[in-house]
Amino acid sequence: MSTITAEHVARIEGHGTITVDVEDRRVTDVHMDIVEPARFFESMVVGRRYDEIPVITSRICGICSPTHTVTALKAVEAVMGIQVSERTELLRRLLIYGSFMQNHATHLYVFAAPDFVGLPSVFPLAQSAPDVLHRALKIKKAGNSLTTLIGGRPVHPITAVLGGFSSEPSRDALEEMREVLIDLVQDAEETVRLFASFDVPDFAMDGDMLALVSDGDYAIYDGVTASFAAGWRRPVEEYREFISETVVGHSNAKHSTVGGRSFMVGALARLNLSGDELMPRAGAVMAEIGLKLPCENSFYNNLAQAVELVDACERCIGYLDQLIEDGGTSAPIAFTVRSGTGIAATEAPRGTVYHSYTFDDAGIVIAGDIITPTAQNLSNLDSDMRLFAPGIVDLARESFLLEMEKLVRAYDLCLSCSVH
Amino acid sequence: MPPRVVIFSLASDFGCQVQLTNMEDELLEVLGLIDLGYWQLASSGEVPESYDVAVIEGAVTTDEHVELLARVRKEARRVIAIGACACTGGIAGLAYGLDLEERFASVYGADAPVARGRRLPASVASVIDVDYHVPGCPIDPRDFVDVLSRVLLGLSDKHPDDPMCAICKIKENICLLDKGEPCLGLVTDGGCQARCVSLGMPCKGCRGLSPAANLDAARAIYRAKGLDPALLDRTLDLYNSAREAV
Repeated sequence: MSTITAEHVARIEGHGTITVDVEDRRVTDVHMDIVEPARFFESMVVGRRYDEIPVITSRICGICSPTHTVTALKAVEAVMGIQVSERTELLRRLLIYGSFMQNHATHLYVFAAPDFVGLPSVFPLAQSAPDVLHRALKIKKAGNSLTTLIGGRPVHPITAVLGGFSSEPSRDALEEMREVLIDLVQDAEETVRLFASFDVPDFAMDGDMLALVSDGDYAIYDGVTASFAAGWRRPVEEYREFISETVVGHSNAKHSTVGGRSFMVGALARLNLSGDELMPRAGAVMAEIGLKLPCENSFYNNLAQAVELVDACERCIGYLDQLIEDGGTSAPIAFTVRSGTGIAATEAPRGTVYHSYTFDDAGIVIAGDIITPTAQNLSNLDSDMRLFAPGIVDLARESFLLEMEKLVRAYDLCLSCSVH
Repeated sequence: MPPRVVIFSLASDFGCQVQLTNMEDELLEVLGLIDLGYWQLASSGEVPESYDVAVIEGAVTTDEHVELLARVRKEARRVIAIGACACTGGIAGLAYGLDLEERFASVYGADAPVARGRRLPASVASVIDVDYHVPGCPIDPRDFVDVLSRVLLGLSDKHPDDPMCAICKIKENICLLDKGEPCLGLVTDGGCQARCVSLGMPCKGCRGLSPAANLDAARAIYRAKGLDPALLDRTLDLYNSAREAV
């Protein structure tokens, strides 16, 4: 028997190793080993005060920090009985979408694209295809500008607090951002066309897909959890009942299943469950490239992210219009500290994230539980690798690993999130 | 010959590396000044045998991290620690006071299969000598460019003279202590443009303690303003719990 490994796989967030056991040209075992060390956020929040929780849990992930912040805020607010204003919700949606643009642009261009053009990184494009690199940086920068405009900086937002925002951008700054996004839609559409031009294997996953859904919305900020394969919808407060987490030997991150089955979360799951709710130009470019739903090919998660980029631009232009036209306030709402358990879920760029906290009478955390998107995806990734590897096992070692890495990267893993 | 630079991450959220990619306008110019030898986040490739400058993000939480740092210190002429986790232990350091066995059991159950080589969180600076620091959670990429320029020019690490509070005075921010909010600007290392206070949020000490910090005097000021001085120490713990390597 021989073992093929790719250690500390490059161009993913965190440290993981692909291990494939081969015997007589047959794949006998294959899995993603998560060597990223846990930092123990769930025990770190115990003993900390309610207002510190979003600050601490934002640090689970450098890319999706806005989503962790907002999810933690919503969970605490559920306990304290805080209902935020419409303006606060709009600002939070923009904050989350800023991280979507930043994440999707980074993942698509910096992490994934080099595989399809035979480069070790995106940087050589500065010489060979400067327009593509500049487009990548332009989208990424716009996402960062949006999170900075609303949250005060690209990573770990400052202004999003319990019940509202500590500071709001000026009307001029909102209008300027609106112009940036109007110009960006075409770059997002070009991204869809670029990824549609890359060949991906014909493949179908075995697992289910889960995402938040909300009637009349492409659910990001709230909703209920929906199953693509089984068709059920359940309140996010029941996540402990429908998602089972187990400890596995090869991974510092736990594995998740739903009804005994692995599942995928993220852009492809959202597209399959909320595709009818896409904004017009996102829907149009999807039709133009011939992407049909439902789609169970995990490799298409890249393309789904690209479609979401178009949708995000269009949607945020609308949110900015509303902020500019409508009044209202995002000043933090006063509240009384209460005890109890609060559960909330939000769509992070890489999929649904669940936060749950239990507070005592003084607002000190006595228990915390967090399930990140990548922790949910890892079992399905292992399942996909087991399905995919046997068909390409005859390739030379380097080509074999490149194909495996393409599959791994399509998941846009965040291993620091997965172990947290 | 441009110096060969490698970038490593330990236990972190990758946020400071993300901040490096976030300097979209300067990134290519910066890359043009160095020979990027290894950066797992952005490029395929193995760690080169020799390199000149090592950039380290994240806190030390495993034996493997300690071994890596020992190799890095031997090989690199200059070591740059980026972010609160590497400089002070940061948020990862919050686990410092907790019982290791108990933590593993609470997250993974009693039969944790992944408990090998674990350590209490520590800053990079408490494990090896660090030549340059880029503090903050996350770092400001402009600070990184500044430090990298100093490395390239052969200048030593620069340290702000004043704590954060002084920047607020220059910016004429309304003092949050006067509004009853436990701000750590009195004792935190300056150099951050008072970004948080300027946006209405108190300083939480992510850049670490200023060498000029006088904690007793700061506690006295808290008392004089009607604030519980315990709030100062409690908030300081957020980014500054990992006092020493163990």
